[in-house]
Amino acid sequence: MQILRKTNLKALEKAKKLGAKKVIDILKKKNLTGRGGAAFPTGKKWEFTLNAKSDTKYVICNANEGEPGTFKDRFIIKNNPETLIEGILIAAYVIKAKQAFIYLRGEYDNLRNLLQKTINKVVKKSGVDIKIISGAGAYVCGEETAIIQSIEGQRGHPQYKPPYPAVDGLFGKPTIINNIETLTNVPQAILFNDWDPNLRLMSLSGNIANPGIYELPVGYKLTDLIKKAKPKNKVKAIYFGCFGGCMPYSKIELTPDSICGKNCIIGSYTIIVVDEKQSILDTALSIAHFYCHESCGKCTPCREGTIRVCHLLEKIKSGKATKQDLEILEDLAMNIHETSLCGLGQTSTNHLLTALEFFRKEFEEKLR
Amino acid sequence: MTEFLLELLKKEVKKRGYISEEAVKKISKKTNIPVSGIYGVATFYSFLPTKQQGKNVIHVCTSPTCAIHNSLDLIKFLEKELKIKLGQTAKNKLFSLYETSCIGCCDEAPAMLLNGKPYIKLTKEKIKKILRKCKS
Amino acid sequence: MKIILNGKNIKCKEGKTILDICKEHNIKIPTLCFIEGLKPEARCRLCLVELDNKLVTSCSTYPYEGCKIITDSKRIRKARSINAELLMAGHVKTLSVDEMENDLYKVIRDLGMTRIRFEPIIKYKQDLSESIIRDDNKCINCGKCIRVCGEIMGVHAISFQGRGHYEHVSPYNNHPLNNVACIKCGQCIAACPVGAIYEREHLFEVIQALKNKKKHVVVQTAPSVRVALGEEFGMPPGSLVTGKMVAALRKIGFDRIFDTDLGADMTIMEEASEFVKRLKKNGPFPMITTCCPAWIKFMEHFYHNLFPNMSSCKSPHEMLGILTKTYYAKKFGIKKKDIVVVSVMPCTAKKFESTRPEIDSDVDYVLTTRELSKLIRYSKVDFKKLKDEEFDNPLGISTGAGLMFGATGGVMEAALRTTYEFATGKTLKKVEFNEIRGIEGVKKGTIKIKGKTIRFAAVHGGSNIRKLLKEKDKYHFIEIMACPGGCIGGGGQPWPTTKEVIKKRMEAIYKADRNLPLRKSHENPAVKQIYAEFLGKPLSKKAKKILHTHFVKRSEF
Repeated sequence: MQILRKTNLKALEKAKKLGAKKVIDILKKKNLTGRGGAAFPTGKKWEFTLNAKSDTKYVICNANEGEPGTFKDRFIIKNNPETLIEGILIAAYVIKAKQAFIYLRGEYDNLRNLLQKTINKVVKKSGVDIKIISGAGAYVCGEETAIIQSIEGQRGHPQYKPPYPAVDGLFGKPTIINNIETLTNVPQAILFNDWDPNLRLMSLSGNIANPGIYELPVGYKLTDLIKKAKPKNKVKAIYFGCFGGCMPYSKIELTPDSICGKNCIIGSYTIIVVDEKQSILDTALSIAHFYCHESCGKCTPCREGTIRVCHLLEKIKSGKATKQDLEILEDLAMNIHETSLCGLGQTSTNHLLTALEFFRKEFEEKLR
Repeated sequence: MTEFLLELLKKEVKKRGYISEEAVKKISKKTNIPVSGIYGVATFYSFLPTKQQGKNVIHVCTSPTCAIHNSLDLIKFLEKELKIKLGQTAKNKLFSLYETSCIGCCDEAPAMLLNGKPYIKLTKEKIKKILRKCKS
Repeated sequence: MKIILNGKNIKCKEGKTILDICKEHNIKIPTLCFIEGLKPEARCRLCLVELDNKLVTSCSTYPYEGCKIITDSKRIRKARSINAELLMAGHVKTLSVDEMENDLYKVIRDLGMTRIRFEPIIKYKQDLSESIIRDDNKCINCGKCIRVCGEIMGVHAISFQGRGHYEHVSPYNNHPLNNVACIKCGQCIAACPVGAIYEREHLFEVIQALKNKKKHVVVQTAPSVRVALGEEFGMPPGSLVTGKMVAALRKIGFDRIFDTDLGADMTIMEEASEFVKRLKKNGPFPMITTCCPAWIKFMEHFYHNLFPNMSSCKSPHEMLGILTKTYYAKKFGIKKKDIVVVSVMPCTAKKFESTRPEIDSDVDYVLTTRELSKLIRYSKVDFKKLKDEEFDNPLGISTGAGLMFGATGGVMEAALRTTYEFATGKTLKKVEFNEIRGIEGVKKGTIKIKGKTIRFAAVHGGSNIRKLLKEKDKYHFIEIMACPGGCIGGGGQPWPTTKEVIKKRMEAIYKADRNLPLRKSHENPAVKQIYAEFLGKPLSKKAKKILHTHFVKRSEF
């Protein structure tokens, strides 16, 4: 796997020889994009922060992956932490940051020692301090502005943008925020000529014989991927994490990046396989429950809407709902999608909107 | 660099299992952050309890992949075994039982955290064994 | 920058949000979480508009060159409606209930909504304190109360607790307000757009007292009430309605109507004498005023080191309260136990003050300005048509100095007018101290008394107080008011109390002072009479006993 190649601080050496501007040029030329879901060009992001005027700047490594079905960060921390830390050091070098943070999700506390040992080993005299901040169980803190709030010791409430963290970030200073997969790719992209920008880590789970992390190129056919995963029953639907929405398996003669439809986004390449033995309504309820639990509470549609979605789904499941309830549910789902403040809220009903598009029958069957 | 509130609170949880009112007042004096604000932060995060917890804290994952692997049944089983409801702490303060969002063990579902450590590919038998070990 | 607003080409300056621009063009956009002067949080999601076909919150979004903004469309109304519906669900189930005129209700009415499709979720207990009541079930999590309490008042008694649907406003660890360092200023009440926080009303008790023939019910009104009460009856901010207010109170059936301004004059007599004494003894400086019960509580929680600096005077309405039950009762042969004293105040902290054991208050009930307006309405009095009437004797004569207590800087100005003459024995020619007028957070000035330069300051708003107290030793005399603007911006005043409204009320006070024949407290004939007949002179043993108090230490948490 490309992501597991070690760079042994050679990339940092090379970066220091090249200088900040050239490092950014390389990242731009090699087309490294953010792997968290938004796919923003990494070089461009760094350039904004480099150009922002300030004597203090920060690097934050976002290790708060919490998207259900995603476990790429765990995989990288376990298998190639040295290259990750090197990536952080390169980012710090480029923007002349003295302080970097790794925001490690609370659920991964058991990886903290490993990470700290690697930091102690790799950082040495680089003049950069890398501090691990442990999250404490809040999915929303994977949102970049919420991470900043959380490190600053606030409630993890997302903020509207602009201002972007690149200019006005942690403690009001210009800040680079990248996720683990992106930062691990940085040294590899700088060092190796054969580094392939198209390779992605994909997390596969569900009722399948071969769950796990797959590294495959963008454009790889989904059907082939599912075959590799060896589903135990006939596959009904694919969920692209919780926020990506779902697609019926029968429509999936497509590659992941071409399916980005109205409410279906591939995002962080998380794939949950749902087979015929499972009901879409139950899955919807489980996801709705997740969003209700993880909503930060800041904005109206997400705070008040996600719980109402749960209630309505439960009502449908219990067989007490009417056609009108389904209409309210759909209105509500669209409203949460359109009017929430941050990505969490905006994408929290994608699963429902797509399920209602493709599996409406399963909902209607249950109506009174 | 000043001390980070989140880290101070986590340390407190590690030390005493929960964040007491006294601890919050101490932290408030040290950091100059108002107590209402510290409680605001603590109650925001799932893993910063402000009430006394059991010696063993169990978080069972209920997100889709684990739910597909029947983690909801496992919760019912745990409730019966521990004689407490989800979200409660046993009277003898031996166990607390919670659900949690995804803990990143989807490839090894169903999974739970016991005192922060992941336990994977759970079955009822496996859980029984784990509980027995905790009690002894 | 050129933009297209509702199909019209308009020019606008950069750095203004869409909401700002709409306000300039008189386009009404509903907002619930927006606070003037503070960074928008974009929580409530009601100020939605379309920016190039995307729904955005106008409070937090800046337009760009050539963009197209639409402020009303089916899509916008639908989105606003659903969000309003979600918020209202926690409130009332049907709209037929005649809810208090709150902002959310107005939004819902303007959107033409007639039903709420979600069941109410009742999950919180009411938080009852002597002066402030919170009902979290009605709360819409706009966060205004928290920001006002923290950012403006510097108290931080409440904050958001919990996450997601369980996020709610509360003191730490879900304590009731009574158990935490809350100064009861009531600014949270003034900020709340939906009436989820409100004062503990004493209306019921007052009406009972009025109906009881055996009781002699005396009412007194604070200086800042008369410049704000008119707003409740549709009059513009800054209308001075002293005469109408007195007439209304008389119609309602109060036996005597006294003026707290006289209590203020009494306060000045005592306070000025105290200051002159400190000038002789050379300290302790600065001396700090004590008219504001919210400030007193603030000090008792957070500034224990200031005890020696505090004046020991009771607040004006407490002075008038005890004078009513002693001086007035004796003079007119009324039994003390038959007298009920009602204070109409702009303030919720006064409700707390009247329960303080240190004061052993002679004020039985405290009504806010808002409660008074309710009482007037209940009594079916047509306020606007009333003819002006006068306060009753002997506690109804007052001066411009007493009136000025209503505005920040006013107590200091009144005190200086008297202190100067007490200390020097000369007449103060220029009685207006413009340097401590206005709504600047901290105002300061100097005056020469017997060759010594006295530095004084007036400060209002909790966070300004914290700032000033860091350099308190620079001053000899400081006036502190907890609420922004002083009492005219108090937590019991009519809604809304914006900066503009405060300015208008302030202008009304200073204008009235200019027009009054008596402008110095010690020239008040009623005051002179009280000392002559009853107290002797300021700081006499008797005066000390009934007009002064002491303070207690309270927990900082």
